[in-house]
Amino acid sequence: MPDEGSPADHELLRRHVAGDAEAFGELFRRHRDRLWAVALRTLCDPEEAADALQDAMVSAFRRAADFRGDSAVTTWLHRIVVNASLDRLRRRAARPAVSAGDEQAFEALVAHDGDPARASDTRLDVDAALRLLPPQQRAALVLVDMLGFSVADAAAVLDTSPGTVKSRCARARARLLPHLVHLQGNRSASESVSPAQGGDTP
Amino acid sequence: MSEPEAGESTGMRGQMTHLDADVLAEFRAGLISGRRGTRIAAHLAGCERCTALDEQLAGVCSLLASVPALAMPDSVARRLDTVLAAEVAQRNVAQGNQAERARGDGTGESPAPRRPGGNRGFRQLALRVLAPAAAVVVLAAGGYGLSRINLGSSTGSAASTTAGGAARAAASSVAASAKSAGHANAPAAGPAEGAGPQSRGITPTNFAVVTGQRNLSRANLAQQVRVELLVPASARTTRTPSARLRDCVSKLVGGQSLELVESVDFEGSPATLVVARTGAEDTAWIAAPDCSATYRHVLDTTSLSSGISGP
Repeated sequence: MPDEGSPADHELLRRHVAGDAEAFGELFRRHRDRLWAVALRTLCDPEEAADALQDAMVSAFRRAADFRGDSAVTTWLHRIVVNASLDRLRRRAARPAVSAGDEQAFEALVAHDGDPARASDTRLDVDAALRLLPPQQRAALVLVDMLGFSVADAAAVLDTSPGTVKSRCARARARLLPHLVHLQGNRSASESVSPAQGGDTP
Repeated sequence: MSEPEAGESTGMRGQMTHLDADVLAEFRAGLISGRRGTRIAAHLAGCERCTALDEQLAGVCSLLASVPALAMPDSVARRLDTVLAAEVAQRNVAQGNQAERARGDGTGESPAPRRPGGNRGFRQLALRVLAPAAAVVVLAAGGYGLSRINLGSSTGSAASTTAGGAARAAASSVAASAKSAGHANAPAAGPAEGAGPQSRGITPTNFAVVTGQRNLSRANLAQQVRVELLVPASARTTRTPSARLRDCVSKLVGGQSLELVESVDFEGSPATLVVARTGAEDTAWIAAPDCSATYRHVLDTTSLSSGISGP
C-alpha cells in the first residue's frame, strides 16, 4: 500500500519545485521499484515498461508544480505511471502486427529473473493471460490483486470511483479464470492451498 | 444433488440457475446486494458446482498476489538516472538564463513578454511536455522502432554517465557524455539502419528532425546545446525534415558527421539547431527558418569544445 502522504514526499516535491536539484531524484528513487512493477505488470513488456516509466518520470519532473496536494505524492506518481502505461497500451493496440515482440518480451522477463523455473512459468502464464484484458481492467487488477492496493487507493490512482475499480477487477478475474485455473491446480497440489471461503472482499 | 433448495426467507421457491463467473466475481467484490445478493448467497450454500467456481475465483486472486515482483533491472535504473540528470541540467540552464536576463535587463531585443512572478523558463518547459507526448502518438510504428533500438544504445552510453550528484556534476557530465548519448536522429526507418556504410546512420541528407522545441538563448548557448545532446534518443520525438531544411543542413555541415538536428525556439522565435562533428570538436549552428541551399542564414553559431566553456 502506498504510504498515505508521508510528509517527506511532499517536502521533497516542494523542494524540487523550489529549485532543489537533488530532491526529485531522491523522491523518484524512493518509489521507483514499485512504479516499475506497475508499469511492467500493466504492459507485460520490459522495454515498453522502461519507456513508459521514463516518460512518466520526465512528465512528473516537469509537471511537479501542478501537483495540488489533494492526494498523496505516491498516488500522483502512480497515476502518471499508469497513464503513461495505458497510453502505450493504446498505441500498441493501434499498431497492426503485434505478437512479434511478445516472445522477446517473455525472454527478457525470464532473463531478469533469478527464480526457479516454476515461478517463472507461472509468471509467463499470468502475463499471457493479463494481455487478454482490456487496458482499464488490467490496470485495476494489477493494482489491486497483484500489487496489493486497497480499492480506495487504486481508485485514487486511476482517478475513478471505488465501485468502478471493483467492477473492473471482478470482470477481469472472471475473464482470467479459464486461463489460470490450471495453475491453481499446481499450486494447491504443491502447496496445499485451501481456498478461503469468500475470504478477501468485504 | 446440486439442486438448490433455497428454502429460506426470500419466499421464492429457489429454482435458481447456476451462476456464471461474472456474476460470482461481482458478488465476491461486494457489488451485488439486496434480494439478488441474498439469493446468490443462498444458492451458493447449496450448490457444489457454483461453490467450486467461487473457490476458483478466490484462487485467481491469490495466484495473482503470489506472482513475485521483479526488481527493476540495473540497465533501466541507469537509463533513468541519465535522463533525470539531463532534465536537471536542462532546468539549471533555463533558470540560469532567466536569472541572467533578469540581471542584464533589456540589453538585446527582449523576446517574449516577460511574465510576472518569475520561473518563466520552467513554466514553458512544463507546458512543452504536452507537445512531445502528442507527437509520439503520431509517430506510432516508426517511433516504436526507434525506442527499441535505443534501449540497447542508451544502456551502453549510460554506463559512462553515472548521474550521482546530478546538478553539481551536470556541466561536466554533460560535456563528458554528450558525445555518446545524443543520437536521436537515426533514420526512423529501422531497416536502413544497418545498411549504410556510416556507423552513425545519420547523414546530411538522411536524418530526422528532433521536435524538442527547447528554448535556447544566445547567452550560454554552448552549454544549452550540450544539454540537448545529452537527452537520450528514447526521450525524443522526431519528424521528417522539409526539403529546404535538408538543403540548409547540407550547406552548413558539408561532408562532416551530423550529430543532431532539432527544431527549437531561439530567443523566442522558431529556428533549427544543427550540430555536427567538425574535426576534434562539435559545432552548433542556429539556422533561421528561411535558411536554404542558396541562403546560409545562421542566427548564431558556437563550438563545443570538450572543456567547460564560459558563457
